[in-house]
Amino acid sequence: MDDKEPVVIDNHRVLGVVPGKPAVGDRKVLSEDDTVMVWPHLLVRHAVAALLVLLLVMVISLLFDAPLREIANPTNTPNPEKAPWYFAALQELLAHFHPLVAGVLVPGAIIGGLIALPYIDRNLSLSPETRRVARVTFTVFLVVWIGLTLVGFAFRGPNWSWVWPWNEWHGEL
Amino acid sequence: MRVVDRIKGSVAYRSIFRLPDAVTERDRAAAHWSSFLLHLYPVKVRRRELRFGYSAFLGVASMVLFGSLIISGIYLMFFYVPSPANAYGNIQSIQTDVAFGQYIRNVHRWSAHLMVIAVAAHMAKVFYRGAYKPPKEFNWVIGVVLLVLTLLMSFTGYLLPWDQLAFWAVTVGTSMASYVPLMGETTKEILLGGPSVGSATLVRFYVLHVAVLPAIMVFLIALHMWRWRKDAMLTVDAAERSIAAEPVIEEVS
Repeated sequence: MDDKEPVVIDNHRVLGVVPGKPAVGDRKVLSEDDTVMVWPHLLVRHAVAALLVLLLVMVISLLFDAPLREIANPTNTPNPEKAPWYFAALQELLAHFHPLVAGVLVPGAIIGGLIALPYIDRNLSLSPETRRVARVTFTVFLVVWIGLTLVGFAFRGPNWSWVWPWNEWHGEL
Repeated sequence: MRVVDRIKGSVAYRSIFRLPDAVTERDRAAAHWSSFLLHLYPVKVRRRELRFGYSAFLGVASMVLFGSLIISGIYLMFFYVPSPANAYGNIQSIQTDVAFGQYIRNVHRWSAHLMVIAVAAHMAKVFYRGAYKPPKEFNWVIGVVLLVLTLLMSFTGYLLPWDQLAFWAVTVGTSMASYVPLMGETTKEILLGGPSVGSATLVRFYVLHVAVLPAIMVFLIALHMWRWRKDAMLTVDAAERSIAAEPVIEEVS
């Protein structure tokens, strides 16, 4: 051994360098199914999501005032008479079908169907390829429902006649 | 010693938060279990659940909007009397005389619309993820009930400003009830408290809106989250889950 100056890192002398793997073993490659502590990993993300939602509410509330029309008057029926937007699809159906169908049977079937869904679809697989029937059925329902909601909300004017929303606006929030 | 450490070491802090020093994961888990708010969460989740694409955080968004609605709603309750003689004037004075009244009313209105969207989107996301499958069937059912309750909350609140928009939207909405077979008119009268929308309807919708429905919702949300926590670490893989769903009963010879 020659008398070289010892290598010093942070006031500690390096006595030797050992070849091979670290004593604790290789660094583990984490998979998606490995677990992490909820605090902080999930809670931090939830906090950020919460702040973003609150920011959105704040911005919308600063920019747009909630609507307030003239005082309720039972003798003066507005035309068109519109339900809240989330019932616009039902109101649109009401224009085409008997009220028993549009007002009672369809909403009853939707709620009943959603409740029964996990007991009807007993396919245990989570992969999209093996769930084609369920996915297509649900997507068709979703598209039809959103379409009907849009039509009832924005495309209907006096006497429930068809209007183009860029010509006449009758949507109410 | 840092200020934070001194506060955390103080007798008062220790009496409120009974936490061990967070040195190991086990200590942090213990802190998690001993916290009232955190006990609604699981201690651990799979890494896949951290990604935005897993849930889009729509459940959190629904929850936050519900909180925003409770806080803004309580503020509005101080200035509102549910009678046809007062309601409309109250809303006008909330908008002009009450401190931050217009802003708080806006927050309440827009949070309500956003919550309907967030809850519906949360449900769609859960569907596409297949998260309603065993053993989570019943939590999906609770979720559907919560969606219906969200719609009812929004609808009962819609009447309260007592303007033309409110009056006629509720008239249209409740007219469907009269088509329920055999008991249509009865159903409608129970909803409205009379043959048409009037002062009895306003009181009924108000009580449902500020007391009955929120109480049911708080209970069901707690149940919904509790079941989510219980199921958080259950099997994800289809093969594993088929064993969990159909327990093998061994024959006794």
